[in-house]
Amino acid sequence: MAIAVAEKRRDSLGSAKVREAFVGYAFVILPLAFFFLFFIFPMVYAIYISRYDWGVLGPIDSIGFQNYRELYEDDLFLRGLRNVLVYTAFVVPGQMALGLLAAVVVNQKIHGRPFFRAAFYFPSLASSAAIVAIFIYLLNVNGLLNAILGTNITFFSDSDTALPSIMGLVIWTTSGTVMLFYLASLQSIPTDVYEAAAIDGSGPWRTFWKITFPLLKPGHFFVLVISIIGCLKVFDQMYIVSGGTGGPNYSTLTVVLYMYQTAISDLRWGYAATMGVVLFAVIFGLTLVQRLLFGRAEVS
Amino acid sequence: MVDKEAAPHVASIERLARGEDPAAGAPVGEIPGRGAGHTATKLLVYALLLALALLYFVPFVWSVSTSLKTIPESVQGFDLIPDNPTLEAYDEVLTEFNFARYAANSAFMATSVTLLNLFLCSLGGYAFARLRFPGREVLFMAVLATLMIPDQLRFVPVFQILSDFPHTSWNLDFPSVHYNLIGTYWGFILIQAVLATNLFLMRQYFLTIPKDFEEAAKLDGAGYFKTYWRVMLPLAGPALAAVTILTFQGMWNDFFWSLVILQNPDVYSLTVGLSSFIGQYKTLWPQLMAASVISIVPITVLFVAAQRYFIAGVTAAGVKG
Repeated sequence: MAIAVAEKRRDSLGSAKVREAFVGYAFVILPLAFFFLFFIFPMVYAIYISRYDWGVLGPIDSIGFQNYRELYEDDLFLRGLRNVLVYTAFVVPGQMALGLLAAVVVNQKIHGRPFFRAAFYFPSLASSAAIVAIFIYLLNVNGLLNAILGTNITFFSDSDTALPSIMGLVIWTTSGTVMLFYLASLQSIPTDVYEAAAIDGSGPWRTFWKITFPLLKPGHFFVLVISIIGCLKVFDQMYIVSGGTGGPNYSTLTVVLYMYQTAISDLRWGYAATMGVVLFAVIFGLTLVQRLLFGRAEVS
Repeated sequence: MVDKEAAPHVASIERLARGEDPAAGAPVGEIPGRGAGHTATKLLVYALLLALALLYFVPFVWSVSTSLKTIPESVQGFDLIPDNPTLEAYDEVLTEFNFARYAANSAFMATSVTLLNLFLCSLGGYAFARLRFPGREVLFMAVLATLMIPDQLRFVPVFQILSDFPHTSWNLDFPSVHYNLIGTYWGFILIQAVLATNLFLMRQYFLTIPKDFEEAAKLDGAGYFKTYWRVMLPLAGPALAAVTILTFQGMWNDFFWSLVILQNPDVYSLTVGLSSFIGQYKTLWPQLMAASVISIVPITVLFVAAQRYFIAGVTAAGVKG
């Protein structure tokens, strides 16, 4: 009798488990179907076609690593890569410094903190297209900036100034987002550390460099990796400023812009996919480093 | 459970759920016994604040001002207040230059993608958080892995799939009808219907909800779907709000996929419309500024209405590309 009851219970427990599993699959099948069709499959497929000479009509020839070798000697790709690296080298420190400055200032005991925080974040709300439009206006030959400087520089149509101008506008736009990350990071510094510093007679300047800045280390690293990744993928601003050409004189050509041109204008899909794979390898490596050092949170 | 220093991710949404400010920072306290230095610091801080605020605001103020001017006035000088403020540029941009259409397109696509993500990601997120089934961890790892991969990797294949949907590269002729989704809303909506960030956010949030609620529902005889729909969804308000805002803003402001997929002026989004306007009529300043203002205003309204959710969502998901 007792055994029969126990077995019956185990049975119903077993069927409840099976039922739960079925419901689980039923719940995830639709989201995962979309996800596999439009994310996982394309990503794997990109690596596959990168090894083909592949045009609109499909695979022409399997060419092994030929596309990768061509990339290595492609002057335009290398030019785009160089532009992106220069861009990253300036934009990342720029947006980190400005974002940190804004965060530290907003973090003080002041009147109107929510207002100032919103004000600094405001440019991050707008689309890249709208921001570029506004800057094309402000930086035009007869525009506000030239009037202030007393010059007549054609910022976006001179190959010496086009890229630096874009760097400036991007630093200005994204520093608000960086500020938010730093604010979240500042929250994790316990207040008694500051109190101890104050008792020791440490001034605000010293407190910042000796205490706040080093304690923000996880925040610095998080922002650094995310900024670098964002910079390596840059496309919108260059496309809009140059009308898709990467001009003047290839000074605003980027890796993603060249990839876009290769796929959409030249219809060389295999070669464009190769650039995607290279970009992926670099970014994946960077993210991996970040996850290994700081990323235990993902799988709770 | 969550290492907060490492990941502002869910921490900020959790703070939000507790009714706290998601990114308030922790204001540094007064420094006792340092009166003179204190005042000097305060002055410096306010000076910095004002300088920064000016730096961030001036471009926007200027573009609004110019959008209210006539073309001759816009190239004459730098008066901030227009002589005869007029909405002519807005009228012209909305009708002649088709921006009313572009705005409607953007609104339709952003809303569709947001609704799809709200439903599909909360459904999947709930299953990944709470229901046990074989392969759950592996499948979720696959979703997580794509968070580390740049979206541009899927650019060429997605373009191929959409231009001949369903894809026929394997020479299968089933189904026999294929659609070219390039130049349609549907291509844009389909490829963003389930975003990994949202699935991840929803799962993490469901994990933080105590199991008692579901057990109570189970005792009342509620099935799995009813428990999800009637019990869990109402409890996930802050996460749903963050997903809504993050997705809507992301889609409204998107440029890359819009440019790749919406190759047809009838379905242009605002951003692609702006880009093409810049290419053709660069120096119609009042019109250009009016178009920019039109694209910024809806997001600003959303921000003012739901600032807390906005900030939590952004801190949770990372900087946009």
